[in-house]
Amino acid sequence: MVCPEGRREMNSRELKTMITDWRVATLLILIVLSIIAIYPHIDQQGNLASNLQYGLDLQQGAWLQLDIQAEVVGYTTDRPLSEFLTNLSTNLDAEVLQVDANHLEIQKYYSQADLEPRFVAAGGQLTSYQQGVSKTTADSVKRILENKINSLGTKDAKVNTLTGLNNVARYIRVELAGVDMNQAQELVGKQGKFEIRIQTTGNQTEHVLSGDAITSVQVPSQEPPGSNNWGVGFTLSESGAEAFRTAAIQYGATVDPSKHNLIMLLDNETVYSAPLSNDLAGKVQSENIRQLFASTGAGDYGTQQATNLEIHLRAGALPVEVTIAGSGGVSAPLGERYKQMALLAGILALVTVGFVIYYRYREPYIVLPMVLINASEIIILLGFISLIRFQMDLPTIAGLIAVLGTGIDQLVVITDEILHEGKVPSPNLYIKRLARALSIIVVAAATVVIAMVPLALMDLSTLKGFAIITILGVLVGVIVTRPAYGKIIMQILSR
Amino acid sequence: MGLVNYNIEKYSPKQLVIIPLALLAISIVMLGFTTLSTGMPLTPGIDFSGGTAVTIFSADSREQIQTTFSGYPLIDVSEGVNGGKFLKFGSMDDTRYKDLSALIYQKYPDASINQIGETFGKTLQSQAVLAMVFSFIGMAIVIFISFRTFVPSVAVVLSAFADMAMTAATMNIIGIPLSLGTVAALLMLIGYSVDSDILLTNRVLKRQGKLNDKLAGAFRTGIIMTSTTLAAVAAMLVVSWIGSVQILTEISAVLLIGLLFDVMNTWLTNVGILKWYVLKGGGK
Repeated sequence: MVCPEGRREMNSRELKTMITDWRVATLLILIVLSIIAIYPHIDQQGNLASNLQYGLDLQQGAWLQLDIQAEVVGYTTDRPLSEFLTNLSTNLDAEVLQVDANHLEIQKYYSQADLEPRFVAAGGQLTSYQQGVSKTTADSVKRILENKINSLGTKDAKVNTLTGLNNVARYIRVELAGVDMNQAQELVGKQGKFEIRIQTTGNQTEHVLSGDAITSVQVPSQEPPGSNNWGVGFTLSESGAEAFRTAAIQYGATVDPSKHNLIMLLDNETVYSAPLSNDLAGKVQSENIRQLFASTGAGDYGTQQATNLEIHLRAGALPVEVTIAGSGGVSAPLGERYKQMALLAGILALVTVGFVIYYRYREPYIVLPMVLINASEIIILLGFISLIRFQMDLPTIAGLIAVLGTGIDQLVVITDEILHEGKVPSPNLYIKRLARALSIIVVAAATVVIAMVPLALMDLSTLKGFAIITILGVLVGVIVTRPAYGKIIMQILSR
Repeated sequence: MGLVNYNIEKYSPKQLVIIPLALLAISIVMLGFTTLSTGMPLTPGIDFSGGTAVTIFSADSREQIQTTFSGYPLIDVSEGVNGGKFLKFGSMDDTRYKDLSALIYQKYPDASINQIGETFGKTLQSQAVLAMVFSFIGMAIVIFISFRTFVPSVAVVLSAFADMAMTAATMNIIGIPLSLGTVAALLMLIGYSVDSDILLTNRVLKRQGKLNDKLAGAFRTGIIMTSTTLAAVAAMLVVSWIGSVQILTEISAVLLIGLLFDVMNTWLTNVGILKWYVLKGGGK
């Protein structure tokens, strides 16, 4: 190592001044906090473990993209709204909900061309068409799916609705760790659509309510207790109870229950069919009933039927139909392999970057802080990733490696700017030059952030996370590590 | 010390920009031609066109694999190093897809499968295109705001555009499809390719001194900046290629190509325009 004249080892006092500088102190504190957040440790099996969460391409797991078979449409009508909605609902044989003053949600798939004449027939006009559901419905689909997956004891499930800029959600992404794709499809893909219909005349039936009107389902029980007469109790929402009562009265089920069975359908297949009890028929005539009990019979047969019905009532409770738009899965060995490769790529990238820097400056006093600052940036990012429990996937790792490469760029800008004309500047000049370097860096950082913002805002499946991490990486660099590096390099150069 | 001898004084602005502009023209013609014949400037991968991508590690030969999946729309089998095989299937209906995935898991239990439906692919594609357009416009706005002079800003934006166009044309030539991963790489390129242009413009317009000295100084710093990023990306490319991690290979390949073009576009295109602007009397 060649030491320029007059240069000596840093003494402890200088070191202390440097560490107590607020920029350097912030960096050090963040590094410590990040390592705590990452929490690298040896787990009970003796493997190295950490708080880092991995995405589905780095561990065994499967994902499914569900396509919602429903649409949100714009409309106008000159009829009274409730009349128009009833007409439409009957015509379409589907639940029609009002989203806002100008938009309706139709919970069944129709093409735009199919809908237009039906809107005219119901006394209105179709003004816009978008496949998907409103945010509210999307949230309830998400909740139902989560409940269903969790109740089946899956280890780690994530359900995300992909809502577009116009607040219409068309896709739902389900991620399941620890299962393969076929299992995942069985778990989720076979989502049923639950519906209660009422027998009108003969074999004719009419829609009464769909699964989302069922707010809770109880476990199988005997009614009355101890009678060995089994069944499942369930609760309807206020509007569900209203719809139930209206239909029962309208079609005469309250007067002649035996001719007007209530039929429960899952995926258009009858899973339960029975008349109202006389007792219930009487009550429904006079008020909305929210607590219902579907009896399934006596003995073992009754118990078995009740258990099945419970699953149907719960699991089939998606208000809209879904199809599988995409799916995928990574096996455990492949995920492990990808993880190792990603780690190797990261380390190798850091080392090669170090060599390039050394080739340029030939001065360990400059190269070492640069590489360490670079590595600290990655540690802080990983700490943040652990903290927000963000799932790292392969594109994110590519983003991290790119942050590594460009992070050092900016350190080069600072170093060259300060070392301009090969002379170590006076403190005043140093401040001026650092400011100039930072102004270049801020513009460069701003372009990266701006370039990534569209991706971070759009629900473009896996790339959202990648964009967020890249933006964070740039921000950490500009706000924390560059200013700290400016201070450190000044301290080192001015010796 | 410099990696290459970069003797800017010798060349006039016209000489500097002639090669990159010719390359840019060729790239645009090529992209236009691909657009005319396929409807897209770039060949869309499974992510956008719909279909199924399968990664397996197996000693089975290409022919064996083709026989195994003869009943399915197998489009392509490509081989990585270390026995990695990448299979591509066209779109098929749900029941056939289920049979296929069952067959894959039965023959190759450790396979990784990704399937994208056609309509979903279209949605992804339109979002990706929007993201790229917005990114580029956003980048241009930042550049114009920060320099507030027309010609230098245009020079930076044009260099970035040339980076993208040349990279895209090269992707077509060597057969890298447009996937979610490569879109990410192109977006990164929008952000990162302007790094050295910003440094250059800053040094030339905001510093005192002789133009040629400033250009030489900017080059000294700028070429190291690009070299470090290149080094990191090259490391990623080597590891992911040997390890058959297809998405990382594609991302790093696109970044590498883009950064190489960026060297040319910064130190020929951008410098050429900037030199012309300063010699003409702009920027004092």
